[in-house]
Amino acid sequence: MKKKYRMIHDENLCIGCQACSVACRSENKVPDDLFRLQVRVKTEGVFPDLRMDMKRHSCVMCEDTPCVTVCPTGASFKTEDGLVQVDPKLCVSCKYCIVACPYEARFINPVTKNADKCTFCYSNRVSKGQDPACVTVCPTDALVFGDINDTTSEVYKKAKESTLVYPKAHLGTKPKLAFVPNKKGVSYE
Amino acid sequence: MNNIWGSMSQYEIINWPWPIAVYLFLAGISAGAIIIALLVKWNKHDNEVPTIWDAMVKAGAIISPLTIVVGLLLLIGDLGKPLSFYLLLINYNFSSVMTLGVLALFVYTPFAFIFAGLIFEDKIKNSFLSFLYPIIGYIKSYSRYSKNIEYILFFLAIVVGAYTGFLLSANMSIPMWNSPVLPILFLASGISAGIAGNILVGLLFFKSSINKESIKYLLMLDLRVILVEIPLLLILFVGMIYTGGASKISAMQALTIGNWAMIFWVGVIAFGLLTPLLIAFTALKNHAYKVRFIIINSLVVIVGVILLRFYVVYAGQLFTGV
Ligand code: SF4
Ligand code: SF4
Repeated sequence: MKKKYRMIHDENLCIGCQACSVACRSENKVPDDLFRLQVRVKTEGVFPDLRMDMKRHSCVMCEDTPCVTVCPTGASFKTEDGLVQVDPKLCVSCKYCIVACPYEARFINPVTKNADKCTFCYSNRVSKGQDPACVTVCPTDALVFGDINDTTSEVYKKAKESTLVYPKAHLGTKPKLAFVPNKKGVSYE
Repeated sequence: MNNIWGSMSQYEIINWPWPIAVYLFLAGISAGAIIIALLVKWNKHDNEVPTIWDAMVKAGAIISPLTIVVGLLLLIGDLGKPLSFYLLLINYNFSSVMTLGVLALFVYTPFAFIFAGLIFEDKIKNSFLSFLYPIIGYIKSYSRYSKNIEYILFFLAIVVGAYTGFLLSANMSIPMWNSPVLPILFLASGISAGIAGNILVGLLFFKSSINKESIKYLLMLDLRVILVEIPLLLILFVGMIYTGGASKISAMQALTIGNWAMIFWVGVIAFGLLTPLLIAFTALKNHAYKVRFIIINSLVVIVGVILLRFYVVYAGQLFTGV
């Protein structure tokens, strides 16, 4: 059976330490000052009623992929199990995918000159049965990754016990990265 | 800035910078010039040679291939890997507007050259370009198909003129681009630039005589396209505002903030659209059919069309409403 990979970022467990971002950088040789992954810390509210939201910012692995649709050469493509990747041999660096991505997930890698983004560490780790680098290092287990078809997996359990929210769900891109919204601090609902 | 999550500069880059804006203009004027040249050619009376009409056909035949070639060079130069551009010609993704555009241009460009060759057949034969004669001879062998070539070229020009709009409107991430109005707006303003370009080049290089009747006709022609563009721009922004959310914010920002709002109101609206309107109305009303008006008119139209492309490309990417 094909794998249905999902990643969940639990914003209640996340402490904004950026370990994931650093792990990504060393695992994937991301050039200085560029990021495949950031966790942005957003302060909401007015003192003393404050809330700190941790927002993961990376490719969300759309099911309906704007970047793959627009790519003229097929350099941006989806693997069999649905993870979006860039083929460096086909990319002409036209930047169409960068302007098309509603999540600002892509950039041009100045070393390879190709479009670059979070790959969920597909070729270097996931295809060998490992977790993505960010998931492995997270000290609070705020990140969970795996095959959601597998009912024994962590990600299946996490998805079952939490309310998942999808980034920019209204766009209909059906992300494979979900988050559990922050409930700590003052509530503004 | 020192966020704990690091530099934000990669998110602030304008990914499609000025060469794209200029390309969009050049592709627009190329398509517009040939559309107008063909319309004039099909309608003109043969006994009117060599009036402005004949000159406009010649101007269109020159402008169209040259502008598209310059535009394509800019486009290739703007690729992060310019030497890999051939990959665009051997790999296709039919859901990508860029692929469809590449295919259209792949046919359009040679046809534009063939058309120019057919129009200037005699000129080339007797000039310093005569070394090109073997090519011309080859093109001439197509002369019995010239009517068909014209029809194909006309159709392809419409495709090229509109695809530049679809290229942008296929992006759901940028509210100003993600509008069905954009292809029509770009086609209309491309035609407007084509009229202006044909008139200018026609007057300057093909020493055509123009009379009151033709001045009146040309001003009216311009006027009609401009009267289409204004409501299209209105629909674009009203549409964005009614969509609400990020679209609405994006529209408000683009219309009010900084230099780009200035460029829109002063450059695109006042200069590019209202000035020609004013010239057309006053000149037509006072029966002051002066060549001077035509030339000023054409120049402001062209500048307005260029600024519109720059505005849409930059303001679209800068003000995304998030
Ligand atoms: S988040 Fe952007 S880069 Fe990632 S799959 Fe979606 S559109 Fe493509
Ligand atoms: S930059 Fe590369 S991956 Fe992105 S659309 Fe262009 S060719 Fe495709």
